[in-house]
Amino acid sequence: MASLERTTVPPRFRYLIATIPALCGLLGAFIANIPISVMGGLVPAPLLALVPVYFWCLVRPDLMTPAVALMIGMAEDVLSGGPPGIWTLAFVLTYALVARQRDSFAGLASFAAVLGFATAAAFACAVAYFSVAGLAFLTPGASLPPVPPILGELAMTVLFYPPGTLAVGWLHHKLVGASRGDV
Amino acid sequence: MANAWKIARKSNAQLPLVIVIALAVVLVLLGKAQIGLFDGARAHATDLMAPMLEKMRAPVAGFDRWIGSIGEIFSVYEQNLKLKEENARLRQWRNVAITLQGRVNRYQALLHAVPDPQMNRVLARVIGRASRPFLQTMILDAGRGHKVLPGQAVMDARGMIGRIYLTGQRTSWVILLTDLNSRIPVTIAPRNVQAMMTGDNSATPVLNLMSHTVTLHAGEQVTSSGDGGLLPAGLPLGTVVSDGAGGWRVSLLADAAASQDVEILNFSKPPEAPPPTAQLPAEAAGLKPQAPPPPQTAAAAPTPVVAPSKPKPAAPAAPAAPASDEDEDR
Repeated sequence: MASLERTTVPPRFRYLIATIPALCGLLGAFIANIPISVMGGLVPAPLLALVPVYFWCLVRPDLMTPAVALMIGMAEDVLSGGPPGIWTLAFVLTYALVARQRDSFAGLASFAAVLGFATAAAFACAVAYFSVAGLAFLTPGASLPPVPPILGELAMTVLFYPPGTLAVGWLHHKLVGASRGDV
Repeated sequence: MANAWKIARKSNAQLPLVIVIALAVVLVLLGKAQIGLFDGARAHATDLMAPMLEKMRAPVAGFDRWIGSIGEIFSVYEQNLKLKEENARLRQWRNVAITLQGRVNRYQALLHAVPDPQMNRVLARVIGRASRPFLQTMILDAGRGHKVLPGQAVMDARGMIGRIYLTGQRTSWVILLTDLNSRIPVTIAPRNVQAMMTGDNSATPVLNLMSHTVTLHAGEQVTSSGDGGLLPAGLPLGTVVSDGAGGWRVSLLADAAASQDVEILNFSKPPEAPPPTAQLPAEAAGLKPQAPPPPQTAAAAPTPVVAPSKPKPAAPAAPAAPASDEDEDR
């Protein structure tokens, strides 16, 4: 737990380090939405941006604030090309769920931790799906979105959680965690 | 890691969370009211990504082909025979099509049919594809700088793929026919049944018939109807297939997942102009053309009214005869 101890991070770097969770979320949104299909469109892109939102919402909620979650959700909306605001709402509500149940989620380890993230990701996908379905209901002649694509997105998001959380965990221990309490 | 999480501090930002949730809801409602809320940012982001996408295109396409060909390795010989046979059949149909096109052109000239609207075409390359739960799109390397505009049809060699719905300066986004938001008025040959083809993110869009009394048959051809004037009529789309539950779907001709180079059709209906005299049906039948009407001036206006009753106006008819000969010679 050496990384959680107060260390002597130069003051000029503290505010830079405080932006790492937000930058990771934006980077995740960017990478996941690069319009390149390597499997002929059969495999949907994962919600990579949700991994840092979930991780730092549990570990450093002072850095992953609701406003940062809103900003990352908006980036996902802009880059993914779907109906405006859908992923913003999904990310913010998922943030609210995780923040509300932080003790339950934070106590999970190994496989249970993956299940915890899967719950949060399922909630995000459900919010997005029902938001689009609600908008379709308000639009005359519009049909409900099919369920399999959003299930595919959920599966890919959960699949990418272990490597994603390893990456953000490494960043946290090397940079963000070291500056705990200094920012 | 669990211990590390347990010592995490509680957030003291409950009030901002409520405000942020309200903001997100407002954003969704704003997006519903103004669907192009993020379009400018999207187009700008895609323009910025375009050079990177163009560089990544070749290796990704190669990998994509390699993945797709794994399952086809064992059936190459059978596919080759099948393709040769299909190619021979298509050559026969090509000759038939050329002959029939010539006949149609002659009939159009005889019947004074309104000519098909002129279409400019922009050739573009597919530099990106995205298959998201609520959007199926591809990105092309042509934008406003190439006079590409939203609404224009995008075709590959086999048929229509989709329509442009967002344009940047150098790139444009295509909404595929299979996308949830795609709706195309179509005609089903040979009985000219009118229907609406609606995407539902599956590979075969749904056909919603305008009349409930008609019955369709699998294999009938689906083309764009041109209703609304947004798309030209007659663009090939696909063939009718049954969905197994009493409904009908369209098996698309174009393969959006495999298309690399596409055409963007700049369709605009030209105003109907009066045809040249030589194309009138009377002349085509060998009859003498009518004399052109005199200029509409106040002084000369009464003259044509009395001209037919007098024998003298036969003189002006003399120069008209060579003119008609000239026309016939042409």
